[in-house]
Amino acid sequence: MNLRPAIAAAAVAGGAIAAYLTYVHYAHVAPVCTTGGCEKVQRSSYAELGGVPVALLGLLAYIAVLATTAVRGVAAAFAGAVLGLVGVAFSGYLLWAQLEPIGAICQWCLGNDVVISVVAVLCVARMLTEPGPE
Amino acid sequence: MRRNRLLLLAAAVAAAVIVVVALIAVGAGKDSKHTVTGASPRSTHAQLFTGVPQRGATLGSPAAPATLTVFEDPQCPFCREWNENALASVIGDFVRPGKLKLAYRGVNIIGPNSEQGLRAIYAAAQQNKLWNVVEALYDRQGAENSGWITNRVIRAAAAAAGANGDAILAASWSPSVTAQLRAAAREASAIGLPGTPTFIVQRPLSKPQQLNAPLDASGFESALAAALQ
Repeated sequence: MNLRPAIAAAAVAGGAIAAYLTYVHYAHVAPVCTTGGCEKVQRSSYAELGGVPVALLGLLAYIAVLATTAVRGVAAAFAGAVLGLVGVAFSGYLLWAQLEPIGAICQWCLGNDVVISVVAVLCVARMLTEPGPE
Repeated sequence: MRRNRLLLLAAAVAAAVIVVVALIAVGAGKDSKHTVTGASPRSTHAQLFTGVPQRGATLGSPAAPATLTVFEDPQCPFCREWNENALASVIGDFVRPGKLKLAYRGVNIIGPNSEQGLRAIYAAAQQNKLWNVVEALYDRQGAENSGWITNRVIRAAAAAAGANGDAILAASWSPSVTAQLRAAAREASAIGLPGTPTFIVQRPLSKPQQLNAPLDASGFESALAAALQ
């Protein structure tokens, strides 16, 4: 089963969320929010990593995942899986940050959590099933 | 083949764990530029506010035709960013010439430790040192809800701001400070405060308007100048 189109679609969806949050960060505008905590999360110290917005890092990661879907082979599948798993683990850390130290939930972050989980599952499935030289 | 792929999966998981641990160690949620020590990293507060009238929560001439109300939380890193990057320019170009006065509104949006800082800030208003103490607390800002706003930090900030720390701590829980906190919270609620920092510009004979502006000096000043026209 060719999973690359599904991974690409999920990466585009995740990239759209990350792009919006990156725009919100640099434009210093309030994100559209129904959970009430988006701006608090966006303006917390957890929204940056070494001075770089985590939303921008997420956008770059989704672009990288998208790039792996353009290439056949186990190496590209492995790279996609690593990116997906890194994304899931880091999103889990940020979810903890929202629930504990920040004390606010951002709907865009929750949406990203869902998308990155889908991406990770698909990328791992692709890595396990991608035709290779073995 | 199946065994090789499972080994590959294990390698991917291990790589992901290493990367994420490194990312967290690098600093998500940490503030590399600021510490919670008592020493002041800046000594410019005196120059920043010298010669600028300060009364209570207001900075600038009471006769200034326009008011910029600033809603802040002492734990908010973006508030600190604005204070560090743009406040000096705003004071120099708008407040000192008498075009604008600044009104501080401290609101607790981050956590209980913010209230301790806000009480100290409003207590400093009784010495007409509110803005100085706000700056001095930002110099010492730690991670949100890490409990960095302590009596020790407040005393150190007060000393750096040229204020009486013991008097600030004594007045922190006074009814007048509580009343100011409640008034700021009501004001924030009335405008549907989206977060901090939030800036409200009030020009003569005009309705207050929210100023959406970048937090750097040139970007903020451009937006402010446009709003004041």
